[in-house]
Amino acid sequence: MVTDLAALSRVLYSPTTIALYFAAAFTLLYALTMSVGRHDQQRRGELARRVGGGLAVAGITTHVAHEITRGIAQQRLPLGNMFEVTSLMALVGVVAGLSYLTWIRRRGDLNGFVLLLGGLLMAFAGLLYAEPGPLMPILDTWWRPFHVSLLVTAMGIFAAGFVFNALFLLRDTAELSVAGARTATTRGSTVGAASIEDLDDIDAALEGDDDRVHDVAYRAALRAGVPAGRLAVGTFVGASTVSWVFLTSAPDTASGLARFFSINLALVAAALLARWLVPFVPSTVTLDGLAHRTIAFAFILWTVGTIAGAMWAEQSWGRFWGWDPKETGAFLTWVAYAGYLHARATRGIKGRPAAWIGIGAFVVMMGTYLIANYVIVGLHSYAGL
Amino acid sequence: MNPAVRRRAARRSGPIGFVIESVVMGWRWLVRMRTALLLLGILALMTAVATAVPQYPNVPGTVEAWLAGDQGPGTTVSQALLWIGAFDVYGSTLFLMLLFALFLSLTACLIPRIRAWLRLVRWSQPPLARHRPDEVPDVVDEDPDVVLDRAERVLRAAHWRVRRPEAGEAPPQVAAERGLWSREGGSLVFHLSFYVLLIAIVAGQLLTFEGQRGVIEGEPGFADTEMSYWSYRPGRWFTSDDHAGWRLDLEAFTVDWIRDPTAPGAGQPTEFRSRVAVTPVDGEPFTAEVAGNEPLVVDGRKIHQLDWGYAPYLEVVVDGEVVHAAFITTVAGDDGIFRGAVKAPAAEPDVGLAVELYPYAPDGDDGIPRLTGAPWADAPVIVYEQWRGDLQLGATQQLVTELDTTALTSQGWGFLRPGQDVTIDDVTLRFVELKRWVGFQVSHRPQIPWLLGGSALLVAGLIPALYASRRRLWVTAVRDPETGRTLVHVFGRAFQRPEAFAVERARMRAAVLDRS
Repeated sequence: MVTDLAALSRVLYSPTTIALYFAAAFTLLYALTMSVGRHDQQRRGELARRVGGGLAVAGITTHVAHEITRGIAQQRLPLGNMFEVTSLMALVGVVAGLSYLTWIRRRGDLNGFVLLLGGLLMAFAGLLYAEPGPLMPILDTWWRPFHVSLLVTAMGIFAAGFVFNALFLLRDTAELSVAGARTATTRGSTVGAASIEDLDDIDAALEGDDDRVHDVAYRAALRAGVPAGRLAVGTFVGASTVSWVFLTSAPDTASGLARFFSINLALVAAALLARWLVPFVPSTVTLDGLAHRTIAFAFILWTVGTIAGAMWAEQSWGRFWGWDPKETGAFLTWVAYAGYLHARATRGIKGRPAAWIGIGAFVVMMGTYLIANYVIVGLHSYAGL
Repeated sequence: MNPAVRRRAARRSGPIGFVIESVVMGWRWLVRMRTALLLLGILALMTAVATAVPQYPNVPGTVEAWLAGDQGPGTTVSQALLWIGAFDVYGSTLFLMLLFALFLSLTACLIPRIRAWLRLVRWSQPPLARHRPDEVPDVVDEDPDVVLDRAERVLRAAHWRVRRPEAGEAPPQVAAERGLWSREGGSLVFHLSFYVLLIAIVAGQLLTFEGQRGVIEGEPGFADTEMSYWSYRPGRWFTSDDHAGWRLDLEAFTVDWIRDPTAPGAGQPTEFRSRVAVTPVDGEPFTAEVAGNEPLVVDGRKIHQLDWGYAPYLEVVVDGEVVHAAFITTVAGDDGIFRGAVKAPAAEPDVGLAVELYPYAPDGDDGIPRLTGAPWADAPVIVYEQWRGDLQLGATQQLVTELDTTALTSQGWGFLRPGQDVTIDDVTLRFVELKRWVGFQVSHRPQIPWLLGGSALLVAGLIPALYASRRRLWVTAVRDPETGRTLVHVFGRAFQRPEAFAVERARMRAAVLDRS
């Protein structure tokens, strides 16, 4: 019975939830590209939006079912090892991100990006997979759900903030490039200089439909504003600042390399997809606002969760703060996001530099999360491998 | 009318002037947000170093392995890390200097901000609108004054600061402002809470006390006095008079594991609990339980159960004379083996025993114990190695659980079960019985309530600092001379969170027009 439940929870996780998240993400991103354009296109987009929404709800349902069955199979809350924490982080990121975008900000067209993040995080959790099992008795206290769930929630929302910051930087780069090209050569024409070559490529069938030609050219110009090669290399290098952990901690070199490359290449693919979608994302002002609001909310949760951790440490280990690797990592993440919030409130730094600090803060969070569990052994090491 | 522009004081010259100008320049540099960000960046960098490099106060063994070149990036890098103090980042002078600079910058930042905030709270009034916006107005049939009176009532009920212009001062309107104190005030409370935390941490370092002591079950325990702790770390202002003086004995200790090797989580502990008897200096003795996550508090001292091990009672007799008869405490290593040592300098020459205790080692078919790593004491056996020579007690630094064998010669080794004895040459070794010991930590931290208070202030300030938004709203109502109807404008601006304000403005407009 219990092993059946464990098997069921595994199937619900992979492939069911992962597949549903990715399917929902791609359908909704397709809907995003159809949201502009002619009437028949918009109708197709509306249909895709509905199908994608249904897939997303199905994915969340199977995800929740996975967490419940896993919890019953092991007779405890699924918050005990890295797989469970990462999976829950994905769930929180998806549910909080979708709810916030759909009902509070009324920007449901961006839901596809949040689901893409959820799918990637769930696939990433697979690299950390551990079979269900009981808990160390020292962890079996109400402090644990209190402390861990706050931090996991904050992590999920920080991840959503990272997506908005990344989209902001992509969009900003594209817009700056188009604006620069316009002022440089075409003096205010709606078609950017970078798009003039692209204009030649546009199907002759479209000629005569002036607005449409302009739209297509403008989109092509925006895309061309973000150099694909540099984006791919940059994403690979940026992801490596975290994924190197798998090179040193994997049982053998081959599986370490496999993990390293699958993480990096998945992120490069996501970045290139986002580049292709850059003409369809909202203005930089909106994206910057979304990033700031999500990060501000998660920052409060992170603060409370870290304080709760210190209170638990005083109760359990007899000291409230001991600069254990995980504690240091939590503090470092806090300082990094505090830096982002201050940067965004500073004239001359807000905008691109602040967004880069936000990206860096997310790298710091993921890096310390993995390092404190895999590389340096401390009191918090619970990787469950 | 604008206030008079404050004139800059004349430039001072001479050596004193140079000092004053430098201080002023330094202060201006400190007040800048860029400086604060730079210092935060340095703090993050140092913390990153402390995450990547093992820290001596946490893992002294790993640091020594790095310095010896057994682990880590090699001795050259490790020596460089040692030189820059990277093995104890938070104890380094550099960190103290950074902390000082951060607090100086914070203070420099906060003083003008607090003054400005007090001025704002005391004097600020919502500014009046000079023009109506270029928007389509709402048209109603009520008198303009009726609309404005209702607007004032509605806004006051929603806790806005409201101002009505004097006659002739400005067009008829209701000017309102909200979130004026709370955002900046929250930010100030958030930043001021760091002073509370800093003072609590510094005072705590001086007033705190932490001591550790192992107690064998059923044997006499210890009293809370300076001399009875194995490790003793008092703060500078903690004196021996501050001890509470109660006595603690370990009545029983329970520990268990998942013993089924096929079950999930096999070998994990499931229980870890002590029943202790406490005798206060004046008062009735009582028993209580100490477990993981459940420390016991006696007279303001917190008692934690930190670790445990097996304690075999070993008797060593040389030439008919008992040179050692006591429990020794063994400590489990990473490999699960409990190690301890007997040091008997009373014998001539010294006798030393290196002891490894295997709690579960049932006899094999050949009668030889089969050693397992299981921690439950169902078939305990000790593996001893006997040494003679010079223990070098007091001459070299050594652990209680380890022998310094440099001046000792091995006399052989063997197995010994409880109740058995063995004689090698003139030395008789007897394993009398096996008990367990528990390591207790006693701590006194008067700073905890202050830290909690500081943390509460921090969160209480953080929420409005990030969520309150300052916004202004104006309601104007004038009679249209052509139609005789009333034109109402409800407009405003938000300094933060414009999207939330758009919703709020729509709601206020409905309320002002009585359409809600």
